Amino acid sequence: MKAVTKTGHTGSKTIQTGKGLGRVFTMRNVSLAALVIYFSVFMIYPIFKAFAGSMHDWNPLIGTYKWVGFDNFRLVLSDGLFWKSIGNTAVFCLVSVVFRIVLGLGLALLLSSKLVKAKDTLRGLFYMPTITPMVAVAFVWVWMFDPQFGMIDRVLGLDINWLKDPNWALPAVIIMTIWKDFGYAVVLYLGALMSLPRSVYEAAAIDGANAWQTFWKITLPLLKPMTLFIVITSLISYLQAYVQIMIMTGGGPGTQTYTISYLIFDEAFQKYKFGTASAMSVLLFLMTGILTILMFKASGDMNMEES
Amino acid sequence: MRIRRVLATFVATVSIIALSACGANGGQGEGQTDTKADKGLKTLGVNVKYDPNHLVNKGKPIQLEYWSWVDKEQDPISAMTRDYQKIHPNVTFKIVNVAWADYWTKVPLALKGKNGPALFAVHNSQDALLKPYMAPIDIPADQLKADYTGVPAHLENGKAYYIDTVINTGNIYYNKKLWKEANLTDSDIPKTWDQLVTVAQKLTKWDGSKMVQSGFNLNGDEASAGYPGLWQGLNYQKGELMFDSSGTKPNYKNETTKENMQFIKDLYDKYKVASTAFGVDMGQSFGNGQTAMVYQWGGFAGTLKLKYPDIDYGVFATPTFSEQTPFAYDRYNGESTPGVNKNQSKDQQEAAQDFLKYILANDKFIKDDAKAFNSFPAKKSLQNDPEILSMPIMAAIKPRIDRLIWPGPTPSTMESSAKKSFQDVFQNHKSIDSALDSTQALMEKDIKGTGFKSLEPAYAFYKEARR
Repeated sequence: MKAVTKTGHTGSKTIQTGKGLGRVFTMRNVSLAALVIYFSVFMIYPIFKAFAGSMHDWNPLIGTYKWVGFDNFRLVLSDGLFWKSIGNTAVFCLVSVVFRIVLGLGLALLLSSKLVKAKDTLRGLFYMPTITPMVAVAFVWVWMFDPQFGMIDRVLGLDINWLKDPNWALPAVIIMTIWKDFGYAVVLYLGALMSLPRSVYEAAAIDGANAWQTFWKITLPLLKPMTLFIVITSLISYLQAYVQIMIMTGGGPGTQTYTISYLIFDEAFQKYKFGTASAMSVLLFLMTGILTILMFKASGDMNMEES
Repeated sequence: MRIRRVLATFVATVSIIALSACGANGGQGEGQTDTKADKGLKTLGVNVKYDPNHLVNKGKPIQLEYWSWVDKEQDPISAMTRDYQKIHPNVTFKIVNVAWADYWTKVPLALKGKNGPALFAVHNSQDALLKPYMAPIDIPADQLKADYTGVPAHLENGKAYYIDTVINTGNIYYNKKLWKEANLTDSDIPKTWDQLVTVAQKLTKWDGSKMVQSGFNLNGDEASAGYPGLWQGLNYQKGELMFDSSGTKPNYKNETTKENMQFIKDLYDKYKVASTAFGVDMGQSFGNGQTAMVYQWGGFAGTLKLKYPDIDYGVFATPTFSEQTPFAYDRYNGESTPGVNKNQSKDQQEAAQDFLKYILANDKFIKDDAKAFNSFPAKKSLQNDPEILSMPIMAAIKPRIDRLIWPGPTPSTMESSAKKSFQDVFQNHKSIDSALDSTQALMEKDIKGTGFKSLEPAYAFYKEARR
């Protein structure tokens, strides 16, 4: 390079330009630019578009885009199905999150104890459903829930038409979701358990704490940041859940298993009413935001009380 | 350092290529150059004529993309592309199969740009989504009218954007093996609903309190099968229209729908020929030989061929409430000709129009379509064709053809909301009145702003409808 810069004015200029470009096209800059472009195109732009779309009579498939102000919000908030979907979503989220936490923590404690052998195999087995695509899992569970040849009724000796029974359809979807997702909590809790300081447990043992007291007074409080993380990520994920509803029940029987995200999907991609779907998305966005803030606030208050 | 730069350059290049690929337009294809205009072939057709002795795209290679939700092996259009290529070797086709659920978002978005498919399958329930991107068929309306039934309903300012190739409607599919096992013969084929109930009872089997074979099953969520399709036919049989006199407001909540819902409920509760606990999908149950009779539209023939090729089945016309001629036997819906993308290049559109003319002038296509969809040809010259009429289903439809009503390209809510109504009554145990109330409200909400107007007044016997 240096030798070239000495060859003359023109050559020197060329190399300097090359050096400048080299400085711009570094791995860091290119990766960063790719990420910025990705997030701008697939995250930021759609969010702003949804906000704008919520104020319009909007069907991008045929180019309809007319200003309607807050009409979509009025329509959504006065729709009984919207509130029913909110109720179903609340039940779906609450039950799924609680079971994900309880099962995840329980199995993680079991795997981290000396009682269980073949820990790596079990950890892999528990995590497998989490990495399997939801579509495939949901289809398999549809067959398992089938009242004629499904495994669940046969094994348990039941006679329930799970996905067509108004009392069992939502629980059936929740059971499948818990089964698919608990491995995520197991792996995270296992990691958290392994990183807990041994000294605290040694001190507790010296003080004469039994296993139950150690769990309640030491393990659980120390796992709080991880629990909060799992609760918040689970809530965000479950508020957006619709694939399992679409495949397993189609929102039915009737509208018994409509969740807010399935309603948004139905409104946008079945009825092509993207304006009202966007208004629902904005409301869901606000709900998720408020829930997350409340969770952080509750966790902060608890920390303050403890300290 | 050098490796990182190479990597950075690689990432940047790949990104640029990926982005530029999004806007790439093939279109040239791998066909051979065609120099022979005179193919020595006869002109096809009676009124809509196709003379194959010409060059398409001046003989230069061209590739037409055709999108469809129908499986390539089942789609008669795919077969026609192969025949067409034999005549015009410079034209190749790229057939893209898109799942039905995605089709109605992917296709309009693709058609918006300049690189969308030149040809695409059309379903008239999605008329409002596709029509803005369609070029009119480049054949005079008079010629189309002379050759095909139902053309006037498709004309807009004297131009047709798509027409019906075959007339599809609901029929009863029955399992011949189960029929024989119940000692039933062809003379037992029911003409009225009462007769069907009697036959269905003979075909139903129980093991204690558990049903093991259904005589007539309506369980399922398919749009045109079971209740979502049948309610319209039952109402029409009694002269009840699907829309009010304005043509824009659904007419679901009425005494006729209530009466017919009760009739279907009786099939389950009183006559016990069906059970909500007996599986969730009547088509699957029929295919597995557990259900003896189902109400299905023509497309079911394709499903049976693909998924249950061993099932030995027959088809007979949907019964009526009495042996007198009803207001209409059922609703019909045409299978549509493919659409031509008006946003594609002039060359692509011209070649696509040429292909369209070829299939409309070609009897083979209509015959294949009729067989694939168990539906009656809309082409007049084939309506008395011995080969067509030798099919039992065609013989069943033919005498009824004038008494089948088309309400227009009805929005899908007329079926999807009816499905919810059925589920509310049969699974959620709501009262019929309450289910009809909520379904009427849902249909009204969904149809608002779609611009749909019923074509029921165009039906020849419209004046006979209930008021």
